[in-house]
Amino acid sequence: MSRSFAIADTCFLIDWARYRGRDLLFKLYVVYVPESVLREVKSESTIAWIASRLASGDLALFTETESEVEEARSIVERSRRMPNMPGVDLPEAVCIAVGRRRGYVVLTENRGALKFVELAEDYAGVTIRRSLEILLQLQLRGHCGDPALRFREYEEDTKHLFPRKDLLNAVAVIRRELCGEAQEVGGA
Amino acid sequence: MEEDPREVRGRSADWAFIESLPPRLREALKYYIEAGDMYVASRIAGLTVEEFNELRIRANIPNVA
Repeated sequence: MSRSFAIADTCFLIDWARYRGRDLLFKLYVVYVPESVLREVKSESTIAWIASRLASGDLALFTETESEVEEARSIVERSRRMPNMPGVDLPEAVCIAVGRRRGYVVLTENRGALKFVELAEDYAGVTIRRSLEILLQLQLRGHCGDPALRFREYEEDTKHLFPRKDLLNAVAVIRRELCGEAQEVGGA
Repeated sequence: MEEDPREVRGRSADWAFIESLPPRLREALKYYIEAGDMYVASRIAGLTVEEFNELRIRANIPNVA
């Protein structure tokens, strides 16, 4: 199955660098890493992982153009003018701009980024994926097993807690789709 | 009902560790607990995002998102 192109922001990439199943990401995507994201990485283990995946072609370097950065600045400004909106910072905004222009899936955990593409009509076509959704997608390619295991391992490795309601919904989808359990997917 | 991420971060945090840090790092972690914005917090701390993320983990502050 051919993989889609995606572009990752800093927080997403450094979380996945800590996750024991980090290379599973490349079953779904070839991931572009903006130069600005690469500059935020310092540890030897993360740099070694990124370098090896760049060499294998699972990751690819993305050099932002001035025009993309300018569009990203405008996204940041627009997000700051929206009421009750978590701000979008420049690194996530670059990913959103590239997502709109080139059709790449945007990999981020930033709530502001999620909200922005929901509210800004001209960015409605941008697809954003969080780790929770990616782990769910990966699990659905496998077998039932322990439906919550992958999420638990990710939380342990990254100290990143998924919203409980979203997590319960994801586990319910796995139970229904893979384990054959008839369950309601909904509020916890 | 989903718990306020600010409360989750603040409750889990190792406050003795945070208070023992130099001002830039201390205030950056307090900002992160309040706002949950790792990029801005890393700029306050004068660290890269990855370095700040390591500090966050040492301070036992979960990333709730």
